[in-house]
Amino acid sequence: MSSGHPRTSKNLLSFIADRFPVDKLNFHHMVEEKRVPIHRMSWGYYTGGLTALFFLIQVVTGLFLLFYYQPTVSDANISVEFISHHVAGGALIRNMHAWSSSCMIFSAIVHLLTAFAMKAFDKPREITWISGVLLLLITFAFGFTGYLLPWNQIAVNATKVGLQSVEDLSQCLPPFLAGLPRVLRETFQGEASIGQSTLGRFYAMHIVLLPLAIASLLGLHLLCVQLHGMSKGVDKETDKSERFFPFFIFKDLFIWAIVFLGLFTVSICVPFDSFLPYPLLAPYDPLAATPPGIKPEWYFYFVYYPLEMLPFPVIVALSNILMAVLFLTPWIFKGTSRRTLQTLALSATAYLIVMTLFGEQIVHFVKP
Amino acid sequence: MFPTPMLKCNSPSVFLQVTFASFIMSFGLCIQVGIAYPEFQQFSEKNSGRTTNCASCHENATGPAGNGSGQIGSLTIEEFAKLNEARTAFEPGKDVDSPILNRFGDLLIKKLGKRKVLEDRKEPAKLASDYGFQSDIDQDGIPDAQEFLDGTDPQNQHHGDAWRLFVVNINRYAPHIIAAAIGVLLLDWGFARMIGGFMAIKRARKKRST
Repeated sequence: MSSGHPRTSKNLLSFIADRFPVDKLNFHHMVEEKRVPIHRMSWGYYTGGLTALFFLIQVVTGLFLLFYYQPTVSDANISVEFISHHVAGGALIRNMHAWSSSCMIFSAIVHLLTAFAMKAFDKPREITWISGVLLLLITFAFGFTGYLLPWNQIAVNATKVGLQSVEDLSQCLPPFLAGLPRVLRETFQGEASIGQSTLGRFYAMHIVLLPLAIASLLGLHLLCVQLHGMSKGVDKETDKSERFFPFFIFKDLFIWAIVFLGLFTVSICVPFDSFLPYPLLAPYDPLAATPPGIKPEWYFYFVYYPLEMLPFPVIVALSNILMAVLFLTPWIFKGTSRRTLQTLALSATAYLIVMTLFGEQIVHFVKP
Repeated sequence: MFPTPMLKCNSPSVFLQVTFASFIMSFGLCIQVGIAYPEFQQFSEKNSGRTTNCASCHENATGPAGNGSGQIGSLTIEEFAKLNEARTAFEPGKDVDSPILNRFGDLLIKKLGKRKVLEDRKEPAKLASDYGFQSDIDQDGIPDAQEFLDGTDPQNQHHGDAWRLFVVNINRYAPHIIAAAIGVLLLDWGFARMIGGFMAIKRARKKRST
């Protein structure tokens, strides 16, 4: 018993020392010496950088939107309309914010799947993986909190559904915890129904709390990536590699330029709201009936459509299992070959694509 | 003329008579005009697969019946006069400024006449071809008639079929896109040269030191 504690703390110290080697904490090791393997999965190394690019675009366009956006139930929708129709370049900035938020979530999911397939969570990269999973969850939280801000029919009604789901969690909890979801919902909502307090809280989360959380975690994530270098990515050892600085950086910058141009072109040509029926874009009316067609953003379809088909407790159980697997991936798949991981990643990709593109048809088929 | 609550009533009996008459007239109008023509909305939704509402032609998204803004129950005497004038525009060419219709609705009545609009209820698809594909109220590059067929908002420049908007805007904003492309690629080239410059300085220093 007496020797248990020193051994545990020794193990913990050794774990931390392996993940944060002080001798490698210098520019020479982290940048000049760093090499990037070249193989058929090398494209996966660019997905993290692209996610960072979309995050930077979010920050810059978000700052511009802050100049005009009014976080009050009476003015929020009008201020968004004002940005779109009367501010010079306002429509472009707003569209870039909306498009890049979707692109950021898309590239974050692709980054997670490629990192999984390339076994980029293997020792000593466990903290890189866990911080990455947390970053993805924060990105989803950004999407959820930002969705309410235009204060239109779909924004408020979809948020209502989301918050109701939080309260519904009480069905799946033991009696002593059953009150917790209600407390959580009330905390997010701030008042009896969605109103000014909710908007204020979501706004605060969207522009202060979540950016602070993502900035700190992103710092940790990038530090880990630079400290441990790129994972080898494939089972077979490859001789080919290139220097991170300047060659990989050159290519990364070029891809950033092309992707930015693509985003700019799409944002200037296609308003993001065009994909929604116009009755859902009308200012929120608390006295009106809930309009048909209320749905969350596309990146929640993978959980929204199963919710339509399966009992709520089943979805909660599956979500919990998925979360546990995601966080424990470095230990669960420690000895798994990359070929198996690629098959698993492809299966997950297929599920996400099918549920996102054909989820509605599947629901109609299952529940006519 | 139509009585409104603004009228001054000297005795309760007059007030009751006025209120009763007002109620009867409003009710009559609601029956006659209040029910819009859902055939067009139903066609638009079926044709496009999108949810729409009365706001494509009416001031109020829930239609002309009711007491809300742009609805019959809230009209003033002057607005009732305008409504009656609009209701008599059976033939095309008459300027219409109906308080319950939006600009697209007004233009529709002006261009086709109410008689034609009523006829088209039997075959709502004809409304688009009868109206023609020249008018574009919101100037988004998609004609109003096409927006009716696509189930999009003819009065909102930032709402339309995504692909059609892309095709229109890629031509409209070609100079902006080209300017952005030149700017971004120059910036990228500049960054690359800068990094290359740092590398060259580093190599030169290393050479000198050895």
